[in-house]
Amino acid sequence: MDGLQHRIAASLAFAVMAALATPDAHAQAEAPVKVGIVGPLTGPFATTGVAFRQGLEAYAALHGDKAGGKRIEVIYRDSAANPTTAKTLTEELLVKDKVKMLGGYMLTPEAVAAAPVVNETKTPLFLFNASTPVLLKMSPYYMRMGQHMHIPAELGATWARQQGKSRGYVAVADYLPGHVVEGAFVAKFEAEGGKIVGKDRIPLNTVDFAPFAERIANANPDVLEVFITPGAPAVGFIKALAARGLTQKILIIGQGEAEDNDLHLFDDAVLNFHSIIYLAGSLDNPENNALKDKLRQKFGPETTTSAFTIGAFDGLHVMYKMVENLAGKPFDGDAAIKSVIGYAWQSPRGPVKIDANRELVQNFYVRRVEKVGGKLQNTVIKTFSAVDPPPPAK
Amino acid sequence: MTVASFILLYGLSYGLVLCLIAVGLVVTMGLMRVVNLAHGAFAAIGGYLSTGLMVEAGVALPLAIVGAVVAVGLFSLLVERLVFVHLYAAPELDQMLLTIGLNFLAIGSLTLFFGPNVYPTKLPPYLAGSVDFGFRTFEVYRLAVIVVGLAVMAGLFVVFELTTIGAQLRASVDNRTMAQAAGINVPRLFSLTFAVGSGLAALGGAIGAPMLPLEPTYPFKYLILVLIIVALSGFGRIKDALGVSILIGIAETAGRYFWPEASGFVIYVLLIVLIVWRRDGLFGRRASS
Repeated sequence: MDGLQHRIAASLAFAVMAALATPDAHAQAEAPVKVGIVGPLTGPFATTGVAFRQGLEAYAALHGDKAGGKRIEVIYRDSAANPTTAKTLTEELLVKDKVKMLGGYMLTPEAVAAAPVVNETKTPLFLFNASTPVLLKMSPYYMRMGQHMHIPAELGATWARQQGKSRGYVAVADYLPGHVVEGAFVAKFEAEGGKIVGKDRIPLNTVDFAPFAERIANANPDVLEVFITPGAPAVGFIKALAARGLTQKILIIGQGEAEDNDLHLFDDAVLNFHSIIYLAGSLDNPENNALKDKLRQKFGPETTTSAFTIGAFDGLHVMYKMVENLAGKPFDGDAAIKSVIGYAWQSPRGPVKIDANRELVQNFYVRRVEKVGGKLQNTVIKTFSAVDPPPPAK
Repeated sequence: MTVASFILLYGLSYGLVLCLIAVGLVVTMGLMRVVNLAHGAFAAIGGYLSTGLMVEAGVALPLAIVGAVVAVGLFSLLVERLVFVHLYAAPELDQMLLTIGLNFLAIGSLTLFFGPNVYPTKLPPYLAGSVDFGFRTFEVYRLAVIVVGLAVMAGLFVVFELTTIGAQLRASVDNRTMAQAAGINVPRLFSLTFAVGSGLAALGGAIGAPMLPLEPTYPFKYLILVLIIVALSGFGRIKDALGVSILIGIAETAGRYFWPEASGFVIYVLLIVLIVWRRDGLFGRRASS
């Protein structure tokens, strides 16, 4: 009995030693750097998750899958835009798959749910889309690859005033980002001498939007700021506005409701819908043209860039940059983030720079939906260059 | 005046679409006491089929809708004979679990064939504009929905109240055993009703598509509204289903117009009040077995 125990202990010790000894320096150099992507690949927000994936795959196709001598492996997980799922998947990716960086997190609640996890593991997390100001305060490891949502709302107010609009109406989805847009637009519009004639917060479960269109029409505004989740709600709302004649009668400004990759979901109701965001699929620069060519080649001739494609595309670009900056050293979240502060590059969206608060200094474009050659597209009608994000939320 | 007329007309058109979708379930649930949570899937399939026929195959809208309604009716007959027939004796929990499973199956199939996004629909030019009533304009489409909805419900009412088959149906809802004993072929009657009910849901999904966008999660998205109508209508009462649906349509429209922030709750407040106040359905109900 005693002898058997000895033998088991000895063989166990041997096995442990063998296991510890094998992963030599050679094997470690070969090990890929894993990147976890959490996004809605199914469910009502699936267009966004698909756009994320297209952006990442296009980047790898254009720039290779290696950075700093290491292979970058991208792992996709489907959150279906559910915050609880997003948090669980984040934990799984970190613990089981040992990812070094994370990306995706379409909606603010998903990003909020993941913050405590990455704060624990000190893992850089790239927000491809979520735009609520408070997010970057929740984690020092969050990097914004989309926008600070105050910017398009405030630019919308300024631009509307420049167009001589004086009666403003705000209609937003009734959740935190909507409230932020409402606050930013109202403050700026009133500061610039405009009058707010109505404010609506639209419940997220709304299906028939006609009553909201009716309310807005009856308040007789000349500019309407909207913020509605893309997909079915955006389609329903914009169609209701068009049916009430508002898209032709007043200036309607949104953000990401009618991105180029979503335009086919609308009919001509979406014509003359304006939006302000950090990209337009129709931008004519070498980076955007190369990206568009690659997207069409990989995913079919109808594919186009959207704000969501570009958030993912640039996110992976900065991830590569971090791995390069830390080449030869073990990956460390704090050092990785520090190494890209102040980093500037040419993105398909135009010149971009990461500022000290992990926000992007970038161009913003006023776009109008037009029909060009029988196809709907967002045409740029004004560019705001190198817009500085507001200082971080207190 | 313009506000009141807006709420009435838009509430009516919204309510009628909900009514078409729900009325089939009101009757089949009354008849067989089967909790069919997959009923909304027939509406979704009807909407997808008619839109697909119109947009992809270029079929005229009325023809596309009729085609979708007939196809869904026949398809539901098949489903009833193959699947539901095993459920009639099963406990309610089993019925719910299985029909929820069918819903997931429907959602998966719709995603597979039509993609995960909203399935875009287009109105033909003759429905796209607005008509001017003098004091205000209304969408032609909404008016068309009201006309079709009221006509179909009127037809249904006539069949249900004035024909032999309607009498058999009412008898079977009230007391299935007795009806069977009196020589009514209840299983066959049920198959027929199931097919017609599913066809009506398809009609609702098809004509409602521009109002309630088609997406794969449709069968669950509108399930609550449909169940509210069923709960407030009482078993097998077509007239009540119509009344309840219109009430819900108008209440939701008015809620969104007057209290936009709270409008998500108006329907539930209405549900609670009505359930407490009129436990036996909105307009009362005959004692049933």
